[in-house]
Amino acid sequence: MLKVKKLSKVYKSGGRDVQAIDNVNLELSEGRFVSIIGRSGSGKSTLLNLLGGLDKPTTGEIIVDGIDITNMSDHALISYRGQKIGFIFQSYNLVPNLSAVENVMLPMEFIGVPKSERYTRAINLLEQVGFTNEEIKRKPSRLSGGQQQRVAIARALANKPKLILADEPTGNLDSHTGKIIFELLKKLSKSQKTTIIVVTHDLEIAQKTDQTYNLKDGKLKK
Amino acid sequence: MNVFSRGFKNAFRNATRSISIIIILGLAIGLSLVMVIARQAVSNKISSVNSSIGNTVTITPAGFSNFSSVNNALTTTQLTKIASLPHVISLTENLTDHLKTIGAAALPFGNSTNSNQTNLYSPVKLNFKKISKRHPGIFAAGGGFQIPANFSLPITIIGTNNPAQVNGNNLIISSGQLIQGSSNNNIALVSTAMASKNNLKIGSTFTAYNQPFTVTGIFTSNNTGLGNDIIVPLATEQRLSNQTGDVTKAIATIDSLTNLANTTNQIKNVLGSSADVVSSVQQAQNTIAPLNNIKTIALYSLIGSLVAAIIIIFLIMVMIVRERRREIGVLKAIGASNLRVSLQFICESITLTITGAIIGIIIGTAAANPITHLLVNNTTANNRPANGISRQFGGGGFKNIASGNGNFSLHQAKNGSFKGIRNSFNNIQAVVGWSVILDGIGAAIIIAVIGSTASSLLISKIRPAEVMRME
Repeated sequence: MLKVKKLSKVYKSGGRDVQAIDNVNLELSEGRFVSIIGRSGSGKSTLLNLLGGLDKPTTGEIIVDGIDITNMSDHALISYRGQKIGFIFQSYNLVPNLSAVENVMLPMEFIGVPKSERYTRAINLLEQVGFTNEEIKRKPSRLSGGQQQRVAIARALANKPKLILADEPTGNLDSHTGKIIFELLKKLSKSQKTTIIVVTHDLEIAQKTDQTYNLKDGKLKK
Repeated sequence: MNVFSRGFKNAFRNATRSISIIIILGLAIGLSLVMVIARQAVSNKISSVNSSIGNTVTITPAGFSNFSSVNNALTTTQLTKIASLPHVISLTENLTDHLKTIGAAALPFGNSTNSNQTNLYSPVKLNFKKISKRHPGIFAAGGGFQIPANFSLPITIIGTNNPAQVNGNNLIISSGQLIQGSSNNNIALVSTAMASKNNLKIGSTFTAYNQPFTVTGIFTSNNTGLGNDIIVPLATEQRLSNQTGDVTKAIATIDSLTNLANTTNQIKNVLGSSADVVSSVQQAQNTIAPLNNIKTIALYSLIGSLVAAIIIIFLIMVMIVRERRREIGVLKAIGASNLRVSLQFICESITLTITGAIIGIIIGTAAANPITHLLVNNTTANNRPANGISRQFGGGGFKNIASGNGNFSLHQAKNGSFKGIRNSFNNIQAVVGWSVILDGIGAAIIIAVIGSTASSLLISKIRPAEVMRME
């Protein structure tokens, strides 16, 4: 499902080159739940951005579901992100003046899913992540951190993506809620057959994934 | 929820800020609409004046406008030459005089020995409070000049050979009949205001120059500027005022507008420096000059307020986009295109400006007439002749009013035909029609779209990866 070949990313910083990602190779099949650990500045977020089509690599290939995204135009990348990728962020990044269900409907609107279908699917997803009928109408300001992250997970799943990229999804949560969210992601990777890559600092959580990779100085090791 | 409803909803995300923006935009758009409406009203008035310009030439003795005594009245001999010029199809001749009311007080300056009197009282009520405020130099405060309690404005008597049209005004006879311009009898037309003030009816008599006059007709005095006037045959006025052969104003009608300029020059050549010769086109242009100034002021104000509105929405949208960089980054990360995100912000901007436009339309509707009148009054006041007080007294200079001197009222005689038009400026009606409302909405949309260009540019430059990196 995901093939990464000789991926490198070099930044210019202060007049010199910084090798953020150095010759990374990775291959994941459908429904895999893997984690990437590494110190701050090791290139974890850069790798996620490259895989998510938010940034372009200096060299190498990223093939998602048989399609090489490295040579895609910006316009094609938007479509790729909308249809194939789901993002989960550490600070949830929900749109504050939209309700939970409206936040989940948002990515579906971007790829042209009809309104009635959007609503039904969003309700189903929110039910799967444990929301009640009353809670789905709440705005993010009236939801706890754990609930907001559940909405973010439902939003990431909205367009049935092939790949979900989660950047420190439990970073802002207490350890109990963090574990619940992690279990939820694990369950969804199996039930939805979605490949999930989680970047985390938490070794305990990382060990519960199918595979853990360590990123150090831009190099990825098992 | 789609991009449009999201944009609409986002416009009211921060209620306090949104209300402030809407009020500011409302004021700017309101001012724009007021200027559009004022400009439209003034343009309509200019068109109406232009379309009513006749092909006439007004001839007055030289120096007629400075309110000094006229010792060089036009003569019948001079005017006979004018009447015989090619293209002159008729010549209206007037002789104007002023009569002091018997028993009324004179003002304590000027020559008060004038013997030309009448038993009529002027229907014109002077607002001395207003006049003294405008002319503190004449009405000195604290023990200065006091208006006598029994003061009455002198009556203007106009002798004419064409009573149907006096000083360019077509007389509308409300009762009785017109007098014959060629008559030499003591007959008169009086205005409705004069008749009412002095209880005059058809067949009533009054005294002027110590002679009895019979009222044969009463004319409507609305907007003619002739309310304080009595109209008599030219020969009668010349005989009684001992000015046989004298004329203080003549109006030559030319056969076509094409020949107006040439004939005006010919008349100037015949009369030389003894007379002021002004064509109706020149008079109209002079009269509407203040209105053209208002049009210019309105245009600049319109442009200014529109630019202000664009700058307001421009800065607001830039501020909003900068504030929501992260949100925009997330929207782009989860599949929103630049166009879609920009469209959402344009909708937000349009919502703010349309709401502002609704407030602006309300402001514009309420303020259009008062502001138009204020502009017209101020501008026309600034363009009045230097001796503005003469207007308060119906045309006569102040000294002449005091004296009742037979040779005053020069200003009125010169400007009489366009005085009605100038007075009608006060009646300019600023109309708020559907077109103005649609203009307002259209302007709001244009303001929103132009004002959103910078925000759209900023949106397109936001890279989700950079925003995510700031986590």
